[in-house]
Amino acid sequence: MSGHRVRAITRRLLQGFRRDRRTLALLFVAPIVILGLLGYLMRGSTSSPSVGIANEDSGPLGVMVADALRHSSRITTTDISAADGDAKLKDGSLVAYIVLPSDFSRQAQSGNVAPEVHLEGSQPGVDAPVLQALQQAMITLASQVAGRNVNFQPQIKYLYGGKSYDTLDYFGAAFVGLVVFFLVFVITIVSFLNERSQGTLERLMASPLRRGEIVLGYMLGFTVIALVQAAEVLIFSLAVLKIQNQGSVLLIFGMEALMAIAAVNLGIFLSMFARSEFQAVQFIPLVVVPQMLLSGIIFPVSTEPKALQYLSDVLPLTYAVNGMRDIMVKGADLTWSSLQLDAGVVAGFCIVLIAAGTATLRRRLG
Amino acid sequence: MTDSYAVDVEGVSKSFGAFKALNGVNLRVRQGEIYGLLGPNGAGKTTLIRLICGLLAAHAGTVTVLGQRMPNVGVLRHIGYMTQQAALYPALSVEENVSFFAAINGADEGVKDALELVELYDRRASVVATLSGGLRQRCSLACALVHRPELLLLDEPTVGIDPQLRVQFWESFRRMAANGTTIIVSSHVMDEADRCQRLGLIQYGRLLAEGSPADIRAQGGSQNLEEAFLALAGRKES
Ligand SMILES: Nc1ncnc2c1ncn2[C@@H]1O[C@H](COP(=O)(O)OP(=O)(O)OP(=O)(O)O)[C@@H](O)[C@H]1O
Ligand SMILES: [Mg+2]
Repeated sequence: MSGHRVRAITRRLLQGFRRDRRTLALLFVAPIVILGLLGYLMRGSTSSPSVGIANEDSGPLGVMVADALRHSSRITTTDISAADGDAKLKDGSLVAYIVLPSDFSRQAQSGNVAPEVHLEGSQPGVDAPVLQALQQAMITLASQVAGRNVNFQPQIKYLYGGKSYDTLDYFGAAFVGLVVFFLVFVITIVSFLNERSQGTLERLMASPLRRGEIVLGYMLGFTVIALVQAAEVLIFSLAVLKIQNQGSVLLIFGMEALMAIAAVNLGIFLSMFARSEFQAVQFIPLVVVPQMLLSGIIFPVSTEPKALQYLSDVLPLTYAVNGMRDIMVKGADLTWSSLQLDAGVVAGFCIVLIAAGTATLRRRLG
Repeated sequence: MTDSYAVDVEGVSKSFGAFKALNGVNLRVRQGEIYGLLGPNGAGKTTLIRLICGLLAAHAGTVTVLGQRMPNVGVLRHIGYMTQQAALYPALSVEENVSFFAAINGADEGVKDALELVELYDRRASVVATLSGGLRQRCSLACALVHRPELLLLDEPTVGIDPQLRVQFWESFRRMAANGTTIIVSSHVMDEADRCQRLGLIQYGRLLAEGSPADIRAQGGSQNLEEAFLALAGRKES
């Protein structure tokens, strides 16, 4: 063991960094960006779910419970009529609504209350605050109905999912698409950089190949790989993990193909900004992690701080994830306007990225 | 008349930042000629070749290839470019590499001929990553000429090639030139320079001298081409 030789290696590494400003910047900027985002998401989140209240009680107690719910810090409430409830769950303006039936006061007097709780059901984590707020309101109620023990038995109904629907179902739907997106992104950016560093790109540029032909050829090649991968992921998820799927497998496949195309072109586009594989690898946390945090995979976009919601709205992955969930959890088909929007936006991103990838692929080296 | 020249470089300058890599270079190569670019490391040979095939744009001057102002995509199918480093796909076999470059140049036949020319037909199934440096160089040459281009740009094609094969390479170059192919070849090797019809001496981005090997000998005042070259290079520098 020679200290001199060890020092030589250490020095060589640090000297390389001194020249590679970009790597240095990424090394110090990326963690702050990622941690900052995470902090803002968790602390600044406006995560009180929107809950509708339909008070049909003819007696006095319904008003009181509704009032207690309104003042709960756990949820944000709006008054609705029970008939509108399901439509509002479907369009996403509510995550739940509570119906206090017309005989609610009478039920309370007899000691057994059964308010209806309708949950949208596809987002885990929002159900708990709704039920907690109701529980709290019931405690208030019990204190008003003197001398009696009020038995509280909410009738819970799920629009989507249901009791057997768990966290894996929720995340699984998004991850099926994500895995493909990120892996295809990584192999594209690395193989495009190889093309550059091994000198073959120079040869391609000196051949009659058009830029569009290169981009299209890459796109087809990696999309084929991505689809084989997507098939594998899908079979594993559905057959082995038994992730719930209400929708058509072909639609899932179509959505995955769109995501793969977006990923390939994002890879080509970003590889133009990296001079080495070393730098390219650093795009991965910078591209992957913020998208993971902001595309609604873990934290629903509707519970993010407002400023971050704008950011989420321009990320292609937000729409892709939403689309995958619509298909797998809600059984959406192409007649649903929300799925049309998601697929349309992802397709639009593909077109923009193809144009950007083609434009950055310059024929001239300098 | 520009049309009689396969390559016509007029007053071309090219800078990288503040550094002038080429400075007012004039160069004309006739069809079917073998033109040798000589010059020390960093003289600007590769830069000039890149300008000729339109990979770089000149800051001043014009480049005309086969009657077309460069850069021009249409002309590219008539150009074969062998890069200085053997630019190949390491995961593909020799034959797959050559077939790929044939296909993107719109010529699917000729793969076998090209492989036989560089004597790699027997090794056609070998994966490029497992080849020796010289074998890679040969594969790279096959990729450059598989589509039978009218203009061959060879950037130090014989580096790492053994003497017997080098002689054969030059035989083939001469045969191609006799069939009308124009060849521009950069080199450091003087006995190769002697096989060119015309030579251009580049140093510090300028064309110092031009002419047949005999002309260069006369200009440099020496029967030995290497000495003549060194004399010319030294004279301009001082
Ligand atoms: N992209 C670039 N950026 C900055 N400088 C460059 C670039 N390309 C070439 N140069 C510089 O231009 C000069 C000429 O380079 P060029 O590659 O043409 O030399 P060459 O004659 O081919 O040398 P060699 O015999 O070593 O291959 C060199 O000093 C080189 O460092
Ligand atoms: Mg060179």
